[in-house]
Amino acid sequence: MTDEDTTTDDDVRADGSGIVAPDDETPTWRERKERTQGLSQLTYEYFERARREDQDLRQESDYVERDVLAFPTWPHEIIRNLAIASFFVGMLLFLSATLPPHIGDPANPSSTPAIILPDWYLYWSFGLLKLGPLNPELSILGGQKLMADRTYGVLANLVVVGFVAIVPFLNKGSARRPVEQPFWAAVGVGGVIFAFTISIYSAKNLLPMNVHLAFDLTFLLPIVGGFITWAVLKTMREGYMYDLNRRYYRLRPPK
Amino acid sequence: MADEFVKGLGIFTGAGLAWMVLAGWYRTPSFESEQQLVSPVSLGESATMFDTLGVLLMDMFFWFTIIGALTFWVGIPVIRQAREAIEERAQ
Repeated sequence: MTDEDTTTDDDVRADGSGIVAPDDETPTWRERKERTQGLSQLTYEYFERARREDQDLRQESDYVERDVLAFPTWPHEIIRNLAIASFFVGMLLFLSATLPPHIGDPANPSSTPAIILPDWYLYWSFGLLKLGPLNPELSILGGQKLMADRTYGVLANLVVVGFVAIVPFLNKGSARRPVEQPFWAAVGVGGVIFAFTISIYSAKNLLPMNVHLAFDLTFLLPIVGGFITWAVLKTMREGYMYDLNRRYYRLRPPK
Repeated sequence: MADEFVKGLGIFTGAGLAWMVLAGWYRTPSFESEQQLVSPVSLGESATMFDTLGVLLMDMFFWFTIIGALTFWVGIPVIRQAREAIEERAQ
């Protein structure tokens, strides 16, 4: 690199930001002719305008562009992951070698255990099967229930799963932190609390409290928790500094 | 400060792991019992010198876990703060 090179670098910018296109992007005469009519012209103008707008946005932005957006997979990430994986594999080997658990007696199929529960991550679904008190006794049917309690519980699973599936369509999740969308943050907190309460309710025969109170709390606590979340986040919005985050919006602007 | 914290954490986890393994050998009658790692030590007639050594090491690791971590998390910071306060008062 000599002094002459640096001076010419100032005059001719080869990164596409100047008027002169870089050599490998300079269109040939045939390409220029192809772009002068019809769909090819429309496509060219569209992409050229999009590129121009992107370039203008980057130039007037105060966002610091980095050459390196992340670490390369090899060697940085691989070496780090190997170290982590080696640690956990070593810990597994160490514990299984030093503290081998005793193998218990085989399960007795002829005796029913006193406590029957699914695995812990299915407690919420098990709790939904116990929503019998919500199953209405319809007067139009002469006090009969439309469906059995167990059918009602299975349908309740469909309702909950369906709601979880619909939420992404109602809210795309463009907020970076809960304070930006207090309502949806409250919905999320309420859902998490409901997951816990319905899981606790699934073991209602083991609860040291009134079953009816537990049933009411199962549905009231999520609402209360969600409302508190909403109120706190609404209050926090007052002092929330949007200016601090303006630079991030340049990369992915809010709706 | 961060250095002292990670020293204490290293002692706490490392020595704690060693204590847990030895207590699993000498103070755990069964992994299905309700008294694991804390039931009284019972060395049988067939206990060798290594078993006696293991019980001794178990107690040493236990106290090293507690005292070592407390030294780096509480003791050394307290001494430093006190020394700074004394120097400030002297000026």
